[in-house]
Amino acid sequence: MVRLFSGQRAWVAQRFTAVMLLAAVLAGLMWLLLGEPLDYTRWYALLTTPVGAVLTVLIFVMLAVHGWVGARDIVLDYVQPRGLRLALLGAILLVLAATLIRVVLVLATHGAT
Amino acid sequence: MQLRIYRFNPDTDAQPRMQDYDITPEAGDKKLLDVLIRLKSVDDSLSFRRSCREGICGSDAMNINGRNGLACLQSLDELKQPVVLRPLPGFPVIRDLIVDMTLFFAHYHSIKPYLINPESPPERERLQTPEQRERLNGLYECILCACCSAFCPSFWWNPDKFIGPAGLLQAYRFIADSRDTATAERLDYLDDVYRLYRCRTIMNCTEVCPKGLSPSHAIEQIRLALLKQSS
Repeated sequence: MVRLFSGQRAWVAQRFTAVMLLAAVLAGLMWLLLGEPLDYTRWYALLTTPVGAVLTVLIFVMLAVHGWVGARDIVLDYVQPRGLRLALLGAILLVLAATLIRVVLVLATHGAT
Repeated sequence: MQLRIYRFNPDTDAQPRMQDYDITPEAGDKKLLDVLIRLKSVDDSLSFRRSCREGICGSDAMNINGRNGLACLQSLDELKQPVVLRPLPGFPVIRDLIVDMTLFFAHYHSIKPYLINPESPPERERLQTPEQRERLNGLYECILCACCSAFCPSFWWNPDKFIGPAGLLQAYRFIADSRDTATAERLDYLDDVYRLYRCRTIMNCTEVCPKGLSPSHAIEQIRLALLKQSS
């Protein structure tokens, strides 16, 4: 589990997702500032289009990868007892996976209606 | 001159303590090591390592007023008093200012700090262009004093697995050497979640190196070399 995205792969993934997320944040800000006032209808319209839904899932996947590498690094640095370390890493993976699954489920449910 | 020095004798002390000293430096005393040697003549129980007294051997590395450095290079007139001397942080203490460097040198040996080239050597020497030789500047000068590794939080957190800035600087010294043919093997060994990638680019190593070297730059170069190798 410690080596999920080991060494260089994790390092590259963290930096790649950081750049992508920065681009997503900038694009999101542009969308917010240049469009009509933000309300539920506008959010709904964005997230139920195929492009909006796919982009949202991609953003959350990158967030999960970036978050996993960062959180894993913090645990490896600060938590030394092996049992506690594995438990924390497992919990982080669980939260990230559950978040991703929920995002996909919400988008799939609303996109289908 | 007032000094507060970390004292610990494992044979007699249950806990370390700080001992205060007041000593008058003499005319020839210019560096901290001069005062420590003078102090040793007064209190011969005080233990510290020293050898060349000119910043080449790296023996007298210690924590001076909260910052790692070499006692032999530390000018007396730059020191705020009382001068607080402690052993290198993060290293097991053997006695007083002497630390156990076994792990530090184990990491150093793990990166194979010697030229690997199975081709039979030429009659005189393996030649390099001036540019190839230039790449070794800022790397070969490391004296393995451990000031950098002992000031690196990542090394404090994982001293048994993270090679540390000194070891990684030495690793890059051989990766950068045009005469070495084991670059791929060296990079494969370093591509590990602990050995290289525990470095969080805190850059204490570069900030504290008494020889003015930049282990953090060397670490960045290793990461880039790994990237080039895999692409």
